[in-house]
Amino acid sequence: MKLKKLTALLLAGIMALSLTACGKSDAPAEKKDETPVESSEPAADDVQEPADENNDDQTAAADLSGELVVWTLANDLISFADKFMETYPDVKVETIVIAPEDYPTKLQSALLGGETEPDIIVGEPQMLGNWYEAGFFEDLNQAPYNAQDYADQIVDYIWKIGQDENGIQRAISYQITPVAVYYRRDIAKDVFGTDDPDEVGKLFADYTTILDTGYKLKDAGYRIFASDAEPGFFSGDSAWVIDGKLNVDQDRYDYMDLVTELYNNDLTAFASQWAAPWYQAMSGPVPILTAETQWGTDEMNIWDADSFAAATEGADTAEVFAFVLPSWGVLTMRDNVGDNAGKYGVCAGPSYQYNGGTFIGISAQSERKELSWEFIKFCTLSEETADWWIEYSQGDTVSLISALEKHKDDTNEIYGGQKLYQFFLGQAEHIDFSKITKYDKAINDAWGAAITAVKQGDKSKEDAVAEFYDVVSATYPELTIER
Amino acid sequence: MAGTQAVKPATPKRRNINNVAYLFIIPFVVVFCIFSLYPVIRTLYLSFTNYKGYGDAVGVGISNYVRVFQDKYFWQAFLNTCNIWIVNIVLQLGLAFLLTIVFSDMKYRIRGLSIFRAVFYLPNLISCASVSFLFKTLLDWKYGTFNQILMNMNLISQPVNWLGTPTVTPYVVSVINAWMWFGNSFIMLMAGVQGIPKDYFEAAAIDGAGRWKIFGKITLPLLKPIMIYVAITSLIGGLQMFDMPHLMSQGNAAIHDGCLNTMVMYLYKFGFTVNQVGYASAIAYVLFLIILVVSVAQFFIMNRKED
Amino acid sequence: MATKIKKTILYIVLIALAIMCIIPFLLMIVNATRDGRSIMTSFTLIPGTALKENWDKVFGYFNLFKGFWNSLVVAVPATILGAYFSALTAYALAVYKFKGSSFMFYVIVIFMMIPGQLGLIGFYNLVSSLKLINSYIPLIIPAIAAPGTVFFLRQYILSVMPMALLEAGRIDGAGELYMFHKIALPIMAPGIATMAIGGFIGNWNSYLVPLIILTKNEKFTLPVMIASLSASTDIANNQGATYLAVAISIIPILIVFCFCSKYIISSISAGSVKG
Repeated sequence: MKLKKLTALLLAGIMALSLTACGKSDAPAEKKDETPVESSEPAADDVQEPADENNDDQTAAADLSGELVVWTLANDLISFADKFMETYPDVKVETIVIAPEDYPTKLQSALLGGETEPDIIVGEPQMLGNWYEAGFFEDLNQAPYNAQDYADQIVDYIWKIGQDENGIQRAISYQITPVAVYYRRDIAKDVFGTDDPDEVGKLFADYTTILDTGYKLKDAGYRIFASDAEPGFFSGDSAWVIDGKLNVDQDRYDYMDLVTELYNNDLTAFASQWAAPWYQAMSGPVPILTAETQWGTDEMNIWDADSFAAATEGADTAEVFAFVLPSWGVLTMRDNVGDNAGKYGVCAGPSYQYNGGTFIGISAQSERKELSWEFIKFCTLSEETADWWIEYSQGDTVSLISALEKHKDDTNEIYGGQKLYQFFLGQAEHIDFSKITKYDKAINDAWGAAITAVKQGDKSKEDAVAEFYDVVSATYPELTIER
Repeated sequence: MAGTQAVKPATPKRRNINNVAYLFIIPFVVVFCIFSLYPVIRTLYLSFTNYKGYGDAVGVGISNYVRVFQDKYFWQAFLNTCNIWIVNIVLQLGLAFLLTIVFSDMKYRIRGLSIFRAVFYLPNLISCASVSFLFKTLLDWKYGTFNQILMNMNLISQPVNWLGTPTVTPYVVSVINAWMWFGNSFIMLMAGVQGIPKDYFEAAAIDGAGRWKIFGKITLPLLKPIMIYVAITSLIGGLQMFDMPHLMSQGNAAIHDGCLNTMVMYLYKFGFTVNQVGYASAIAYVLFLIILVVSVAQFFIMNRKED
Repeated sequence: MATKIKKTILYIVLIALAIMCIIPFLLMIVNATRDGRSIMTSFTLIPGTALKENWDKVFGYFNLFKGFWNSLVVAVPATILGAYFSALTAYALAVYKFKGSSFMFYVIVIFMMIPGQLGLIGFYNLVSSLKLINSYIPLIIPAIAAPGTVFFLRQYILSVMPMALLEAGRIDGAGELYMFHKIALPIMAPGIATMAIGGFIGNWNSYLVPLIILTKNEKFTLPVMIASLSASTDIANNQGATYLAVAISIIPILIVFCFCSKYIISSISAGSVKG
């Protein structure tokens, strides 16, 4: 009996708890409609001259104080936060870096739990849609922020991604991320007789040309890409979902054919993207293993690095011609090209695309919104910060137009003195921001699975595509699918 | 066996003694109700809604459950899980059992139990993420050390794509999982054997009972409660398999959502990737039902064997 | 003679198996002394020279010892509480006959079957409404209710506990709790030690729950720190530093493990004297 009573009592308590918890989880959604009470008064000075943010920073410098908590998924904002604290010594910023695969789980549980920290939250483009909808991000168009006044200072596609469905500004990225081809100038000269970015860009003009380029490189003993996933950044002419309908455009099929041919004709070095051999291919030759070649000799000791290196010296190796990466790839390459520094060049690919970018916003539940807005302005809208970041990061591409124009003649020695800011600004102007949907991750995975099945010969193209439709309809029953 | 029958002190005088049990279990019951029962009840509620992980949860009746039963990819995930798990469990328990027999043998008196036990347990100490990273590197298709060794020994003429071939990859994961866990099963079984008073074995040995007779007549029956534990936890752990297949196939969608897609990975996809928490909750409960049915069946089969 | 040969073969097999289990460990420790570039290029069991460099990199990014301490503060009490209260509950379930005991046993078995990921959001809501975010309490206290451990120990008691001993104790007028402490605990020790090892490792390596509960850098436990390494581009470049961090994080587990192994042995000899 005692046990029963106890259990009943506990259950009752739990029910009560669950009710409060349920009530709480709705909080962020409701909150977004109210104007934040605290934030309206103290930042009044900023409102009067929002366009002239340089001036603004200086006047504000003396009186900014308080604490901020930033949650992010890469360590770049740590540097920004340090710089911010250096500029405003009375401000303390705590930056928490969370591994990207865990970031959504952690952020969602905190905000749904009604936490007032973090103050600053970030998101990558594919995460933003859901979070705008959930009301996680503060409306930046309202006073005192009036973000709309800054619209023409930031590269257009970045500005648009920071807006929700109703065009309300909710987040801003300090970075632009157009995708480009990073190629080896020396190999280009050797095989194609030119290393000029415009000319080399023509070698990547469309998928047929890419294949052509791939064969020519293979005949000369090189490989066009390290992995066959590489050109994936360029695929897709239109969004996966348009008006609730699954949309598979012709470019997706063409891309499938491209990958299949790259794979089956040994045109790539068969590394996995982001795995060790892939990075290794940036700095020098990688061993090429085909059916005919045998590895090393019988005497080699696989556990001893020196003997291993000596034994595999005779094995076939090849150098990789190109890597496809967004503009932040400049930094990846910087860290991995080794002795090949200066031998790379950057050119355009078959289409204008972007990938990634850290969009910074204010949590709708933050209690320190004015200071948060100062931080966002500092990271994204201040030319001084942009100058510093360009210098500090050795080549990251900012989104502030005035900074990009100021640095348009900067040269980057890793890329043979190429003027990268000019190049990326030019690329960014063509980008269509609207291709991203909240369905992308799952649909991309399903399409990737279909491509793998086709290229390995596990399934016919028809079967693989039919399977793809099945997977999408099982994942998103609400989508209309026309086969 | 002796134990089960001994629990019968139910004479009237003893009633107050038995009531002590309520005091003993209170801490467990309180913490359990707060931290285990509540979240699970909340999930049950969510499984009848279209909750997305944010916003409002609107009731949708049993439609999530109908969807699970009609979702062929869930059932594919179920088959995948069984496929990986069965090979895994045969290797893992088989090895653990053989080791237990070897180490409990009175005739050979194998030395160094504590060292071997510690060493066999080592793979279990490394986090799953490190193990996966290690094996992904070792088993890489064109660059992995394992293929290099096999080719040097002329065992294969072409590199095997260990982690990218639907007919091979599930079993690779089974073997790695067994390698990680056999030490754990071994320790459990060994702890059980060591709990058996030594005089039993000595008496039997004096009576001239052979090795297999001792094993069959003394060790096995006395080990039964522990074996039930090991078997049921392995089953439950196996059907909830997630980390290893998830990490081993990261970056390879064809494998990740294909032959390595386990039930919990499918659940995870809906709960954390595509924001259909309501549906994920329903999957969780169906998964729970499956485990329940299988475990109960297993429990009865193992219990009956003895009679 | 035949026995000797068979015995030798057995030893060879056992040693081969042991080597298979040690190699990844060696690789990890060796890799902790090498620089990222050479780790990517080849496998070797010969230590490199980059230990100092790796060490500086790890500790330049965060204070690993602080994480060490935090993990200890969580894992030690959680393990002790978990072991003690599970033993107590299991003892109650196995030894006493009381109303609801079989119901409770079934509930425990059923809860072992529920997928862990399932209650995550509900758990967070609960912790948040109890105002326990950023506290170690939600990481420690739930260890008291570990259905798997209770289940194991109940089975264990049933197979090793001589009930006559308890009867004798009662006749001598010993209290129930006293008997649990003085008679039952020593007999259950090997089982408890086994569970405690597993429990400690689980608590020490626990990642997802600390990740969502802890929101301040200075509160982070070791696995959360190590995971944030992967978000740091400087260190991701340097595999060696990651290996070093992982290797360091394993040391306490090894110590606990050695300690518990010894404890199992000694308790067995003690048990056999009594038996």
